[in-house]
Amino acid sequence: MNIQTTDHVTHPTGVLYTRCTVDLKTGKYDIVDIPCRNLEDVLGGFGRSFQLLANRSVDKAYSLENPLIVNTGLLTGSCTMTGLRTYFSGYSPIKASLQGLPAAIWSTGSGKFGAKFKWTGLDELVIENRSLKPVYLVIKHTADGPLPVLKPADHLQGLTTHEKIMRLQTDYENAHFAVIGPGGENWQNVFMGSVALSTENQLRSGEDKCRFAGRGGMGSLMGYKNLLALVAQSPDQVKPLSDAVKRVNINVVKGGGSARLQPIKRGGGGGTWAAYDVLQPFHAVPINNFRPAGNRLPEKLFRENVEKEYYVESAACFRCGITCHNNILAKNSDGSRGEFLAKFDYEPLNLLGTNLGIHDAGQVASLIRLVDNYGLDAISTGVTVAYVLSYNERHSQQPILNGASFGDFSKIRDLIVATGNGQLPEIGHGCMRLSQQTGETSYAYHVKGLELAAYLPETNPGYAWAIAGGHMSMGTYGMLIREGKSDVDSWVTAITKDKLQIVGFDMIGLCKFFDIVNGIGTEMVVDSLKSQFGLSLTEQAIKDAVYRAFLRGLLLERKQGYGKGEYVLPPEVTELPNQALKTPNITSHQFFKELSNRVWQIFDRDMQALAKAEMI
Amino acid sequence: MQVTIRLHGVFRIDRFKEKTIDCPSGTQIRDIVEQLNLPANLLGTILLNDSFRDGDALLKDGDTLVLLPILEGG
Ligand code: SF4
Repeated sequence: MNIQTTDHVTHPTGVLYTRCTVDLKTGKYDIVDIPCRNLEDVLGGFGRSFQLLANRSVDKAYSLENPLIVNTGLLTGSCTMTGLRTYFSGYSPIKASLQGLPAAIWSTGSGKFGAKFKWTGLDELVIENRSLKPVYLVIKHTADGPLPVLKPADHLQGLTTHEKIMRLQTDYENAHFAVIGPGGENWQNVFMGSVALSTENQLRSGEDKCRFAGRGGMGSLMGYKNLLALVAQSPDQVKPLSDAVKRVNINVVKGGGSARLQPIKRGGGGGTWAAYDVLQPFHAVPINNFRPAGNRLPEKLFRENVEKEYYVESAACFRCGITCHNNILAKNSDGSRGEFLAKFDYEPLNLLGTNLGIHDAGQVASLIRLVDNYGLDAISTGVTVAYVLSYNERHSQQPILNGASFGDFSKIRDLIVATGNGQLPEIGHGCMRLSQQTGETSYAYHVKGLELAAYLPETNPGYAWAIAGGHMSMGTYGMLIREGKSDVDSWVTAITKDKLQIVGFDMIGLCKFFDIVNGIGTEMVVDSLKSQFGLSLTEQAIKDAVYRAFLRGLLLERKQGYGKGEYVLPPEVTELPNQALKTPNITSHQFFKELSNRVWQIFDRDMQALAKAEMI
Repeated sequence: MQVTIRLHGVFRIDRFKEKTIDCPSGTQIRDIVEQLNLPANLLGTILLNDSFRDGDALLKDGDTLVLLPILEGG
């Protein structure tokens, strides 16, 4: 970013970002510095990319008009802890309105690719058209600025995500990588391809420890473009820490906000995996396609039980003190660390484990590894497979696909392998389309075409207004169980004001775990920006920018044909209330209707005002 | 009076899963949290006889108190 102002609220054009546009059809590229239109542009991420997408007319995700936008946030590659995020945006192959138009989406991950990308000198990469042959793109930092070079990628074809990264590492020193797997390469039949981002730990150890930008099929869009990998090659450009940033970083680690994500041996909560322990007393851990039966089966994947057989190791991304990863390794007979098996984050663990009726940690680890290697979104894959199993349970005489049932590890594994290889569009196209084919849509656990995260919709009506991943673009998933909120007033305020602020992290380049409860409109972020960029911002100005970016997301959904009738939860939730749940019912017809009316009153008013102001 | 306490997740480490304890009348939930030395930044949901409560609530004989770590997702 080229910053020529300290007041970029009133003079955003005084901040310029560097965009490289690469045309895959012609191989030509263009690098320009673009003045920011508003604070959302300055902050970056989806706040910027969605403004570009809004200006495109795209009626099919797999079309030449659909760009893939790879960008960073203002704090990506900075000294602020967790500043490692890369964002992938475009019109989604998997998330679509009932009119059949693709929704705009972004997806994000950590690892070190984002920082390296930023250090090449770019803030944004817009990939236009598609290549006829498989290629990869190298962006190299040079004395004259960033230099993009397209290269043939035949040698990468068919390799898993991890294999691609390790193969590229042999050719590029001092580089990090964003790659797709076979899933994304088989884009016609796989709409849920993810993008894998390399980590320091992975490159050093050779172990399979990528991070993923999974949601919305951005890996499939990359596959459609015949772009198999991105390489960002640059020396590290870590600046000395100022006192202010030092204070911020200490506060991130010691201030309490991230304590629950930190390793247990440091007095932390042990990462997202710990959600199992909190949800189970309410019988709210999704089992067998989101239908917990009030039994103790989820306890088999409690950490205390897994640790009896496996070695659990905490790990972190580059320079991050939160250390939120929990790696599962085989345990040697003397109790020491054995072979690396998989990462246990809550979402993949549940959606490829308990929610498929699989309760054996080793089996779940192998499915997580498989999905990661194929470059499939763990959430969409897990939820769509769960739909198949649920269908088969209801139609035991005439099951679909290979007849897999809940808990049948071997057949479930076969389904995932076939999906990754592009042989099962029934799963690869996601559960909305599959349920439309079977005619049984009530138990397809998606909202607006995107599969739900591993929080029961019964505990989170906020899903309906999430604009990208269900829990990561609307932070209401803990409102009921964490905060005990079951009144409409609290939910209206949360959805329209406080909890949508979570998407700020998908603008600025930081992980949500930086301060998931408070968002980015905080003193810590203000201090970081002032100290590193000389920018003077108020917490409220940041919050306002996040709100506008969120509203643009809703406006884009409307542009792509979404009607208000699509902002609902899976019908089974209200049609067949789950009696096993030990939570207040906040998804009855009456509750949801009142919530919906009141939420739309606010959003409609503010969307209208924003559209008017920007003449959308 | 007697109160049954159930702990979950990391709170069980070096403590217990369930225990019935004697405490004087006037005991608040926060007193129990302090007594058990539970880290404040990890304390999430508090359930008293299946209802959500905060640390100020007073305990009475026969109560069941459930203490859960904070829920975090991702
Ligand atoms: S919080 Fe976790 S995912 Fe984010 S940068 Fe730190 S270790 Fe990586």
